[in-house]
Amino acid sequence: MGSAVRTALIKLCEFLLTALLVSFFTFAAFAIIPGDTARVMLGPEASEEQVEALREELGLNEPLAERYFDWLGNAFRGDFGNSLSFGNPVGDLIASRLPVTLGMSLIALIFVVAVSFPMAAVCSRNPGSIKDKSLSTAGHILFAIPPFALSMMLILFFSKVLHIFTAGRYTAPSDNFGAYLVSLLLPSLCIALPKVAMTFKFLRASMIEFSQGDFVRTAKSHGLSDLRIMLKHIIPNSAVSSVTVISLVLSDIMGGSLIVEQVFNLPGLGRLLLSAISRRDFPLLSGIVFYLAMMTVLLYFLADVISAMIDPRIRDGRAA
Amino acid sequence: MHKVNTKKILTGALTLALAFSAAACTQNGGTSDADVIYGGEAVVGITQEPMIFDPHTVVAAGDKEIIFNVYEGLFKYDSTGTLNPCLATDVVISDDASEYTFTIREGVTFHDGSELDTGDVVYSLQRASELLPELSSIDSITDNGDNTVTVTLSTPNSEMLPNFTAAIIPEGSGDTIGDTRIGTGPFVFDSYEPGIGIVLTRNENYWNPELPYLDKVTFKVCADMDAGLLELQGGAIDIFPYLTTDRAAQLDTNTFDILSLGSNMVQALFLNNAVAPFDDVRVRKALNYAVDRNEVIALTMDGASEPLTTAMSPVMGEAYDTSLDGTYDQDIDRALELLAEAGYEDGFDMTITVPSNYLVHVNTAVAIADQLSAIGVNASIEQVDWATWLDRVYTQRDYEATVICLTSDYAPYDVISRYASDNDGNLINYSNPAVDEIIENLPLTIDENERISMYRELLGYMTEDAASVYVQDPSNICAVNRRLTGYAIYPMYIQDMSTVRLASAN
Repeated sequence: MGSAVRTALIKLCEFLLTALLVSFFTFAAFAIIPGDTARVMLGPEASEEQVEALREELGLNEPLAERYFDWLGNAFRGDFGNSLSFGNPVGDLIASRLPVTLGMSLIALIFVVAVSFPMAAVCSRNPGSIKDKSLSTAGHILFAIPPFALSMMLILFFSKVLHIFTAGRYTAPSDNFGAYLVSLLLPSLCIALPKVAMTFKFLRASMIEFSQGDFVRTAKSHGLSDLRIMLKHIIPNSAVSSVTVISLVLSDIMGGSLIVEQVFNLPGLGRLLLSAISRRDFPLLSGIVFYLAMMTVLLYFLADVISAMIDPRIRDGRAA
Repeated sequence: MHKVNTKKILTGALTLALAFSAAACTQNGGTSDADVIYGGEAVVGITQEPMIFDPHTVVAAGDKEIIFNVYEGLFKYDSTGTLNPCLATDVVISDDASEYTFTIREGVTFHDGSELDTGDVVYSLQRASELLPELSSIDSITDNGDNTVTVTLSTPNSEMLPNFTAAIIPEGSGDTIGDTRIGTGPFVFDSYEPGIGIVLTRNENYWNPELPYLDKVTFKVCADMDAGLLELQGGAIDIFPYLTTDRAAQLDTNTFDILSLGSNMVQALFLNNAVAPFDDVRVRKALNYAVDRNEVIALTMDGASEPLTTAMSPVMGEAYDTSLDGTYDQDIDRALELLAEAGYEDGFDMTITVPSNYLVHVNTAVAIADQLSAIGVNASIEQVDWATWLDRVYTQRDYEATVICLTSDYAPYDVISRYASDNDGNLINYSNPAVDEIIENLPLTIDENERISMYRELLGYMTEDAASVYVQDPSNICAVNRRLTGYAIYPMYIQDMSTVRLASAN
């Protein structure tokens, strides 16, 4: 148990260091690239005096380094400040966008798991069969399509050909949960499909490997049914590597949702991230980047914990 | 003192009434019908997200066009570009144009229920004069006690009236107005969700009892024009302004009305007059002769633009000098001659810096670069994001050439005053003492005809100096779902929702 605490502490330090570096690089990028929040907010029609007045009001006249350390000090205490351009607290803005981004990620994840496992199980039973070959080819094609391209094709098909979907029509979960799920279904699918292919490819290889293992031969010789072997032996054995691949897929899914929500015009974190960049809104951008970094680190951490719980070798520290 | 018929006050805009009478008809057509429908709602797609709701701080066109529905000034533009009395019923301008006396409209209430009085007007103009540069020449504001307010200017200004469109807000509300958003307009501010949209609701106590028609208007933020177009086709939004012609052509005309109107916008290949080789008037002229404006317009706007010769659009009426038209019709030989005279017989390399978020400007830059190759000028295109453009090109003027569209109030003075050599908005570093003098004297000149000839003289100088390569005045194109009617398209950045109503009950 002592080693678990130590591992958690190390992970925490790693996380803090990552967050610090990420915030520093964000800040450094903002210090280098041209652009002024006050001017972006007021537009070219504003006079120099008006821009100057807003700069003063927003505190943009303080030296850069001072602003960064102020921000860092507050962030360390959990206060991410107010967005410069929106005026609202950064935390509130991020929270208001989570239903879209998290909802899409979750639906996409469920879809990936629900489709790729059965596909991999079917293919690994008879590698090289017609079934395996056709599913694998389909997987390769899906793998090659970037989510944004898939999004456009699906929007065209469902809204212009079938007329059953309106891009950008979003209902908040508090208004109507069913409509909320429906509005996220298609975009989630766009994120999920390429990831299905990736997960499937990985699972298929690992299941084939395990199905050739000694324990499977033994089980077969004991007269166990194929289904039972798959459920009781092959899937549990490939579970550890599945957890790792799923944690990778999940961070990809979150990244994908940032892009896909842009194409579907959904008010998620990705849109907020882009407007933070285009407005040079440092507190907002840092807040979002910090949040994304935290989610990524947390996911990997969870994956490690789950792997350890499943695999006695990792749990006892017998394997790396 | 003489009483001025407000419709005749020179804003330059009034002369346009004729040109836009068609639009005026759409706006007014049907309002007298017995069966006009009150109620219902509409969603307007916007691609520029508003950020500021304090009417005396706001300057960005994308913000102004929305709060137009919430706040009102003493005067207000209509869809013909004419200034009409609004919270004032009347104005008397002293003969030397240094005193403006407004009679304040009675029976107007703010959205919080309080009644508009002269105190609110004095307070608002005072605040606006401290925050808005165009009102900074206000010297004093006097409440005359008979429901009139007199504004005295530190220097006479016959071009001042358009500036009295500045919002009137409740007395003392300046510190909170950005959050409370209380005005007198036809719509009441309901809610704002950053990145998502703005909801306005009907002002039940609007001083014009006939308006507005709709109960609710939502301005919904769309990621870009294409995302908005899909939403429009799917029915998630009803009104979508600032479309390009190719996008508008994709829409089903059984479902949508496509409205189009000439604007007061000026798109140009702006040349930094302070940077070689563009500090040489011969080079600037050569570039002007090398460009075929009609081809650029065909390529970028499907022909839905007015070609420009100089810094003002012909739609601005009498202030524009039509004899300038065609000065720089394409003439490659002349362009080559001028380049040779300037010592660039082998051409030169140049960079056009364009904001990447404006597709029309990027396309214009590409079309022009292609045409310039005919005179040996090798133009490369550098795309930058909007914030970078504002900083590097607009503020620091660290660029050679750029393509952008300038917007302004619908007043000729607002269009040209930026070319004064010391003006913040003079992004091309244009400098001509004769032009400076005219810009300085225009507001001091009372006689309307004299002002018109001064504008023409000024445009003559700017054309002769080939200040930049002025290209086109793109039309505003707006799609409106046919379930709605009464939308009035404006020649400037305004989305007036007060006249919009349902075409039929369900």
